[in-house]
Formats: sequence, structure tokens, C-alpha cells
Amino acid sequence: MASAWKEAIRNAARAARKWADRVSAPVAPVKPIASRATYEPIRKVQLTDEVSRMLFDEYAAHRKTERGTEETGWVLLGIRNGDEAIVMVTLPAGAERDAGESHVQFHAEAQAVASRIVRQSDKRLTLLGVVHTHPGTLRHPSSGDFRGDREWVQNLRGGEGIFGIGTVADNAPKTGVAIHPQPQTLQYADLRFDWYTLAEGEKKYRPVPVELTIGPDLAKPLRKIWTDIENHAVAIDRLARQLTNVQFEIGESLNILVGLAASGQLRACIEGKSVRFFYEVGEDAFQIDLPAGTRPDQGIYLILAELAARG
Amino acid sequence: MDFRPLNELERRHLITALRGNADGNRVLLMDRKDTSFAGSAEEVPDEEVINAIKSVPCHY
Repeated sequence: MASAWKEAIRNAARAARKWADRVSAPVAPVKPIASRATYEPIRKVQLTDEVSRMLFDEYAAHRKTERGTEETGWVLLGIRNGDEAIVMVTLPAGAERDAGESHVQFHAEAQAVASRIVRQSDKRLTLLGVVHTHPGTLRHPSSGDFRGDREWVQNLRGGEGIFGIGTVADNAPKTGVAIHPQPQTLQYADLRFDWYTLAEGEKKYRPVPVELTIGPDLAKPLRKIWTDIENHAVAIDRLARQLTNVQFEIGESLNILVGLAASGQLRACIEGKSVRFFYEVGEDAFQIDLPAGTRPDQGIYLILAELAARG
Repeated sequence: MDFRPLNELERRHLITALRGNADGNRVLLMDRKDTSFAGSAEEVPDEEVINAIKSVPCHY
């Protein structure tokens, strides 16, 4: 009788343990759904028609300048969507780039400011990769490119980037329209771009099919003020990092808006080397005269200090 | 037609994404192979983009 009770108690204990295991046992790790969608390997690059036009037009224009034999390039922003990279923004290397016939280092401070401006309207825009040109007929990234890019792609979503190489084509079709001689190649007139991807840990670049879709280059409006962005990039970037309520307006000039805690806003209007400052509250606007040569960040802080002193 | 029930994690992701779509116009992603829910497009922090831009290596 006693052994029957012991057996019954043991059975109950086993059942309890099984139940407890089901409730508390560790489950297999589940990969987040958003990550799975975002970080699939890139199998296709989509360029908006305006992005494609911008690359071909600016490459052709660059070749006609005094620095036309140097390499040039663009940073590309856009959206990672499943296995696609959709390019919607081109940020040029800039006049202050460090470049020669065998290298190009972009003016990154200006590109950083430009990224702040274009991303005001869409925070999904991320850095997708870069395009640069080769003066000869090397239509794929060089071994020197690989040494830098293999480390750099770790900074990109999915640990993968897209890389375009611009070169002069062997011959130009006379039809006046772009051609698509290979899945990874777009050629217009005598210029072509070949497209590749490189992911973290890969030993070489992979050719990737490129397609066109209708859409904007969101950085096109910045081209007319690009010199101003370059001239004031460090000051603007510093201001945007130090203050949270900084916005940008692009018209004929670059305007930096700083919202005030109480009411109203400050405006720094950049026109070439000069900067004009305004205090706007309600429907009133006041121009504030500061010494010539006052930098945008310096002027904003001087005005903030004055407003604070006035209470 | 497969009526696979969502697990708890999938259900939470879907509800969050639907709320984000309704409130903030965030994009809902679909798996093109079977039309299943594949997450929502993520917003990317400014500093992530700027750090990546400032670390672009020299190209040759």
C-alpha cells in the first residue's frame, strides 16, 4: 500500500515537472521579422529616373571641367526594402573633395549636412552605398576599393552596400537613348555605370542587376546651394548636433531655422559667404545685424544669449 | 490556403506595424513569395547615416 502511494506521488511529481518545463523552458530564438525583411541580401538595385539622369549628367559635366581627368563620385541614399535597394538621393563629392586621377575622397561634412536636409521629410532614407568613376576602362571596383569597402559596409543596414563604377564606354549608340547591355550595366551616350554589391565577410564584389523606376532625386534642389553647404558645413553640422529643434528650408538660399522654447524661431539665411539673421515671432519678423563674417552657429548662439539676457 | 496562426512575437510585430501605419504612415512590408507580413520599414537615426557618410573610405 505504501509503495502504491509512493508511485502515485512520483507520477504526480513527473507530471508537474513536464508541465513546468512546457511553461518555463527556453524557446528557440526567433529572428525579428523587421530584421529579416530589412536585411535580406540585395538582389536588385533600383534607380529613380531622376537619380540616373543626375549621375549621367553630372559625370558628363565633370569631364568637361578643369578637373575632368580626376575621379569623382556620389554618396547614395535610399530605402532598403526586402532584397532591393532603391536609390532616391545622390550627394555629390563636392568641390572640396580630395581627388586625383587615381583616387577620390568625398567632402563628407557637406554630404552629412545634405543628408540632414533630405531626411527631414523621410527618416527611412539610409545610406546605401557610393558611386565613383575610373579614368580608364576598369569597370569594377579596384583592390584598393575593396580594402576600404569591406570594413565600411559594416556601417550599413544589413552589413551590405551597393557600389557603382562610372567609366567611358567603348562606343556610343547613336539612338540617343540609354541602353542596358548587361543586367548590371546602364549606358547613356559614351558613359556607363556598372553596379555591384559587397556584404560584410564577402571576398569579392558581386554584380547586381540594376533597373530604373520613376521617381525623384531628393537632393536635386540642393545643387543650387551646394557651394553654400560646403562653405558652412562644419558650422551647420555642429549646430544641428548641439540643438534639437533645427530645421532647414531650401529656396533660392539655404535657411536654418531654430525653434525657440517659448515661442517664435530664429532664422539664419545663408547667401554665399554672408549670413543674415532674423527673429520671427507670430507675424512679426526682426532682422538682427551682427558683424560681417559671423558664422551661422556663432550668430545663433549670440542671439540666444541676448534673448536670454532680455528674459 | 494556409491559415497559420501567428505566434506571440509575430502578433506583436503585426499590431505594432499596423498602428505605425495608421498613426505614422509607416510602410507595411509583404513577402512577395507568399504575401505574408514581412515587417515595417524602419526609420533610421540621423547619427547612423551621418557616421556612415563620414566614414566613407577613399576610393581608387
